[in-house]
Amino acid sequence: MDRRRFLQHAGCALCAPAADHLIFRVTDAAAAAAYEGLEPAARLKLADMALDLALRAGASYADVRIGRTEQELLRARDRRLEALTSNVTVGFGVRVLVDGSWGFAGSELVEEAEIRRVVGLAIENAKAAQLIQAVPVTLESMPAYREDWRTPVRTDPFSIATDVKAAKLLAINEAALAAGASYCSSLMRFDREEKLFASSRGSAITQVRVGSAPYFEATAIDRQSGRFASRASLAAPRGEGWEYIERYDFLAEAALAAQEVQQKLAAKPVAPGKYDLVLDATNLWLTIHESTGHSTELDRALGWEANFAGTSFVTPEKLGTFQFGSPLMTVMADRSQAGGLSTVGFDDDGVRSIGAEFAIIKDGVFQNYQMAMGQAAFIGRSQSNGCAYGDSPVSFPIQRMPNISLQPNPMPTSLDDLIAGVEDGIYIVGDGSYSIDQQRYNFQFSGQLFYEIKNGKRGNMLRDVAYQGRTPDFWNAMDGLGDVSTYHLGGTLFCGKGQPQQLAPVSHGAVPARFRQINVLNTERTDF
Amino acid sequence: MLLTPFEAKAVTGRLLARSKADHCIVRLNGGERINLRFARGNATTNGNQSSLRVTIESRFGQRAGAASVGGLDEQALEAAIARSEEIARSAPENRELLPPVGPQTYPVGAGYDAATAAVRAERLAVVSKPVIDEASRRAIDVAGYCMARHGFDAMATSAGQFAHDAQTGAEFTVTARNKSGTWSGWAGRSDTRFDSLDPARLGRRAIDKAAYTAPPVRLEAGRYTVILESSAVSDLVMWMLWNMNARDADEGRSVFSRRGGGNRLGDKLFQDAVTIFTDPGDPVAPERVFGDEGFPSRRTVWVQDGVLQNLFYSRFWAQEKSREPIARPGSFVMAGGTTTLDDMIRATRRGVLVTRFWYMRMVDAQKLLVTGLTRDGNFLIEDGRIIAPALNFRFNESPVAVLANVLAIGPSERTRGGEREDSVIAAPPLLVNDFNFSSTSEAI
Repeated sequence: MDRRRFLQHAGCALCAPAADHLIFRVTDAAAAAAYEGLEPAARLKLADMALDLALRAGASYADVRIGRTEQELLRARDRRLEALTSNVTVGFGVRVLVDGSWGFAGSELVEEAEIRRVVGLAIENAKAAQLIQAVPVTLESMPAYREDWRTPVRTDPFSIATDVKAAKLLAINEAALAAGASYCSSLMRFDREEKLFASSRGSAITQVRVGSAPYFEATAIDRQSGRFASRASLAAPRGEGWEYIERYDFLAEAALAAQEVQQKLAAKPVAPGKYDLVLDATNLWLTIHESTGHSTELDRALGWEANFAGTSFVTPEKLGTFQFGSPLMTVMADRSQAGGLSTVGFDDDGVRSIGAEFAIIKDGVFQNYQMAMGQAAFIGRSQSNGCAYGDSPVSFPIQRMPNISLQPNPMPTSLDDLIAGVEDGIYIVGDGSYSIDQQRYNFQFSGQLFYEIKNGKRGNMLRDVAYQGRTPDFWNAMDGLGDVSTYHLGGTLFCGKGQPQQLAPVSHGAVPARFRQINVLNTERTDF
Repeated sequence: MLLTPFEAKAVTGRLLARSKADHCIVRLNGGERINLRFARGNATTNGNQSSLRVTIESRFGQRAGAASVGGLDEQALEAAIARSEEIARSAPENRELLPPVGPQTYPVGAGYDAATAAVRAERLAVVSKPVIDEASRRAIDVAGYCMARHGFDAMATSAGQFAHDAQTGAEFTVTARNKSGTWSGWAGRSDTRFDSLDPARLGRRAIDKAAYTAPPVRLEAGRYTVILESSAVSDLVMWMLWNMNARDADEGRSVFSRRGGGNRLGDKLFQDAVTIFTDPGDPVAPERVFGDEGFPSRRTVWVQDGVLQNLFYSRFWAQEKSREPIARPGSFVMAGGTTTLDDMIRATRRGVLVTRFWYMRMVDAQKLLVTGLTRDGNFLIEDGRIIAPALNFRFNESPVAVLANVLAIGPSERTRGGEREDSVIAAPPLLVNDFNFSSTSEAI
């Protein structure tokens, strides 16, 4: 919107200070309802209006998302609450297909006049894109749905008083400080994302997704040596309510972390070399994310993300034949796992994801890519498998990860069993530094805690450990896997992809696993 | 959407007048962004994104809470005021909370260009097409991103402060790959002015790099003399600036901590010619006119002739240490030298030319050790000329060590790093000794 139109729209003359009260507006009834709580009939009316405008302007397909996202963030530093913020974002986005080109536009101002303007921009963008559209975009046919879905939550985190949450954070920091940490920082973030998806094919899907993300980090400092170390919580963000925060014993973990970070300061530096590794599930989830999650995204394999996120070493001719990992390795994609950050009834293309779980890797062999609408035909398949997501209603939905999880060993296998099979190795707990190349071959991961394994037993703590590998070599070196009793659901709120970059929440189920002869670095620099 | 200073002041004034808190701080920001992407000869995604956000921070004594909401809906804003006051009343006391800043004098911003604010989708497609056409003629695949944005930030406090800053930004980045996927090149730039991007030149540069036909050589991991192009330098230096927090240094948890206590201000940590600063009046990479806490930005020299001159200080920490506050930098300029890229290549007996970095993450805060990879244009240099493409490397290096090992500095230019959008950075190419590549990567 240019400034002049904004002013006209706001009923404001060109800003004589005396006219300032006119800048505030009372929007039409439907939009007001949208701000307050996205009342279903009002949302649907606005969505229908957008779709109707798009089709009348020449779109062969159109969809619209109207959303309201509420977020609460609390951050504490030592014995002090540093930030306490409540955010509400309302917005909508309209996507149109005109003569084989996509056009998209979105706005955080939900009202009729803005919808008219934004639909016009989406159409304009599609027409502009035709200048560089050699091959028209084509879409598979898809069923229409008119359904609702919401995250099963026992206690809505937004129903818990702010002071209760603040007290919880300060108690975590206090527990760490009392147990000897020099410093402790912590935060909690709660999200509720309400979204209506409507399409010109007749879908109208309302979904509510809830998430709770706790975090803390204890730091120890040795002033004499000038060395310091930190140990972050092993708690993962989850698609759950306040019950998750209550269930997890943060105070015990904070006290333990304070002791462990002191041990970390005094730990023996690792000698670089090849080691057998036992990776705890709290570490392995991130390795799964980076090396198997991103490498099996079809838009990357097709070269569409080459300019930023990158491409993939898993090229389409490898479908069904490539030995990605050892026969112990089966990786499933789902949007149905309890507590999963990607758990949802339908993706952002309106594709049903309930009951649509699929294998990405089965018995070590690559089986399928993650796909959004309009991509399946490129690999000779007929349908999207429900992997589209836009990180806000004003973002173009692109292919994003569902929950992607390493399946447990069907044979009874404990963590101790895995460690027992190692003569000289390292056990790594928690996720740390992480980095991987643009085709998802070369990676380097660290962790929070590192322990020697000697003759099948966990030994003393080590420090400065990072492991480096090449994705298929690494996964083919896996010869041990924990059973279902060792399963842990890790995850992140900040998986980045796309331009402009979008951040997606995603969970990864993992079990501890053993890898033979992996390259380990000592990351300490002593030369300056 | 963009609010003028008058409009922003009217909005903040109304909100402050409705506040029942002891103190109130209102922040506004908004804007519009338009983008177009292409890959392998086709448009992929595009979009306009329009935003307007109002954040209200209420304070009762030493208790504070904030609520934000999108748009200017009367009911939503009333609800946000009430919510921020409710949160603040229930918050525990924060002894470090200082009263909001009062009236200030701000520099004039240098980061807004009206022509960039008027760019529409057709323009993005028109400037992208010649790049796609040239790639097609030369049998190369290109994937690119073209963007223009305009926006504003405003802040007002119940103590009488008001600040407004408008910015524009534009970006064109392109990755070129040969048809067999065995080599690639990248070029990119951001600027305040869309008209300064020159996408055709950037496209040619990326395609030229991707068009090398010799197979890439696999070099052994180890320490190399490297020529880092400005994009790679911008990423390394940005990592360092992010970690120049005075409090962290004073508390003993930073590479800038002094053993035994205090920080390393005044130490000669870097090579003589290294100078890094932030300046709201800089014509190439202007800093915003005010920081998060509302005090005015001013020219801040972080490193002068290799000596650490400044760290950033919050108002609280500045008061504790009896210093002036310095805002966390949102931009920087690394001063340039006179050695051209070609001169650097000619001066290198054996080394590696690095186009850009990727996926940089902290490994060890103790030494600010960062890992990452080279990407899209790594070349072996021998006896003063480029010999062949070289397989990418993973590195484990510290920007502090890199800036101590600088051999020559090229002209500083507005550039764009590997991962960070909307960065406002001017950096030179550097010739650097002893850069630590820890392994090779076969990723192209």
